[in-house]
Amino acid sequence: MSSKVNKTKKETQETYAIEVNHVTKYFKVYYDKPQTLKERLTFHNKNKIEKRMILDDVNLKIRKGETVALIGVNGSGKSTLLKLMTKIIYPSSGKIITHGKLTSLLELGAGFHPDFTGRENIYFNASIFGLSRIEIENRIDKIIEFSELGDIIDNPVRTYSSGQYMRLAFSVAINVDAEILLIDEILAVGDQHFQEKCFNKLMELKNSDKTIVIVSHSLNVVKDLCDRAIWIYEGHVKKDGNTKEVIDEYLKTCS
Amino acid sequence: MIENLKNYKELLKSNIKKEIRGKYKGSFLGVLWSFINPLLTALVYAIIFPFILKTSQDHYVTFLIIGILPWNFFVTTINQGTTTVLQNGSIIKKVYFPREILPISIIGSNLVNFIISCLIIFLFLIFSGIGFSTYVLFLPLIILVQTIFQMGIVFITSAINVYVRDAEYIINFILNMVFYATPILYSSSLFPEKIAWLLNLNPMTTIINCYRDILYYQSMPHLKSLLVVLAASLILLWIGIKIFKKLEKGFAEEV
Repeated sequence: MSSKVNKTKKETQETYAIEVNHVTKYFKVYYDKPQTLKERLTFHNKNKIEKRMILDDVNLKIRKGETVALIGVNGSGKSTLLKLMTKIIYPSSGKIITHGKLTSLLELGAGFHPDFTGRENIYFNASIFGLSRIEIENRIDKIIEFSELGDIIDNPVRTYSSGQYMRLAFSVAINVDAEILLIDEILAVGDQHFQEKCFNKLMELKNSDKTIVIVSHSLNVVKDLCDRAIWIYEGHVKKDGNTKEVIDEYLKTCS
Repeated sequence: MIENLKNYKELLKSNIKKEIRGKYKGSFLGVLWSFINPLLTALVYAIIFPFILKTSQDHYVTFLIIGILPWNFFVTTINQGTTTVLQNGSIIKKVYFPREILPISIIGSNLVNFIISCLIIFLFLIFSGIGFSTYVLFLPLIILVQTIFQMGIVFITSAINVYVRDAEYIINFILNMVFYATPILYSSSLFPEKIAWLLNLNPMTTIINCYRDILYYQSMPHLKSLLVVLAASLILLWIGIKIFKKLEKGFAEEV
């Protein structure tokens, strides 16, 4: 489908990485979710379903090469927007178009198998991101080096500390070389040293013309990294623009 | 869809490997169990049935094996396929990848298992003195038809099971019944003419009969019936993909 769009909208393809057009998203909130046939047939909880609006007619255009932060209080819809962009969930109405290879770091280590070694998990995790065997083989040394796991890379992942686990997961995801990178509050990975390393890597990606969208509450990091911030409030875009201005305004309402 | 799958070839491969290896991980005999299991089942029937039913079939054990191994391929594929999306719920919620990978991996891993099981059938053919004929060349075609048929079913059941979790148990029950309505323990010629047509409505009857024709009776398979099953399976597959594509959009929210 997207290839058709590419042809007809050649111009937008060149300038925009992500287009969010009139996107609305409801979640059905079940107070008592019907999971069996009996429950479905008897409709005993028909009245207990509530539609909760998470995003209300959101319009956004993110240009190629931009580094954008999504900020806002908990429950405002930032992560939902990010999930919609990765196509994990789909909008109730409206459309999201993305141009280019996309990787999301919504939760680190998704699909890690605890009994497999770090190295085997690199293969499996990278293939989830859509890399071919050759591409993984070309990157594996870089990934292991970045994770600084050294010899324990051949130990089963279940023997890792949580910090080591995160470091491995982050190293895989960051080395996928996607054109669009979606990151959900994972900048606080590992110790001080590793955090700095991640930050530097993100800066490097930013300067290499990748499109990055970050959901974060670490406003200081956001200030240093992003050139644009979007403040989401109760499912709307409340303010969109220069990072410093948006954050200043956001902080005013928080205090 | 096929274009998208090509990009995720590596994931498909490693997922199939994981399915084959992971299932019996920790058990002493490992993967061997997937072959020992159906053999033991066949052994039980081979001991019991000649006593109760006074089966007069020559080489009854070989006759049984040719029925039970394909049936085992069918049942394990459907059972595992039905639950695969639910079981991988944690990954589905966190990363985007073509969801079709999950049911296709189940088909793939079981297909590999079955092809290896065919060696067991060959061993029985040799040691029972039945031997081979050139009709064995039809084997790949029959396996292909069975695989397409199963794929169609699994696409439907795996998607529906996410929404209605009873599906798993209902399907289990149906499979148990169909086992007796398929000429596995007996020859379909045992059935009276009057209800034979009912038996023939079951695609597995045609498929198992074809296996028996080429391997046990060493005659031409009933090609016309096989082609009808092939056509029906292709339609089923098409419907299955439609249903799966329609329902997959809600997977991340429902699992």
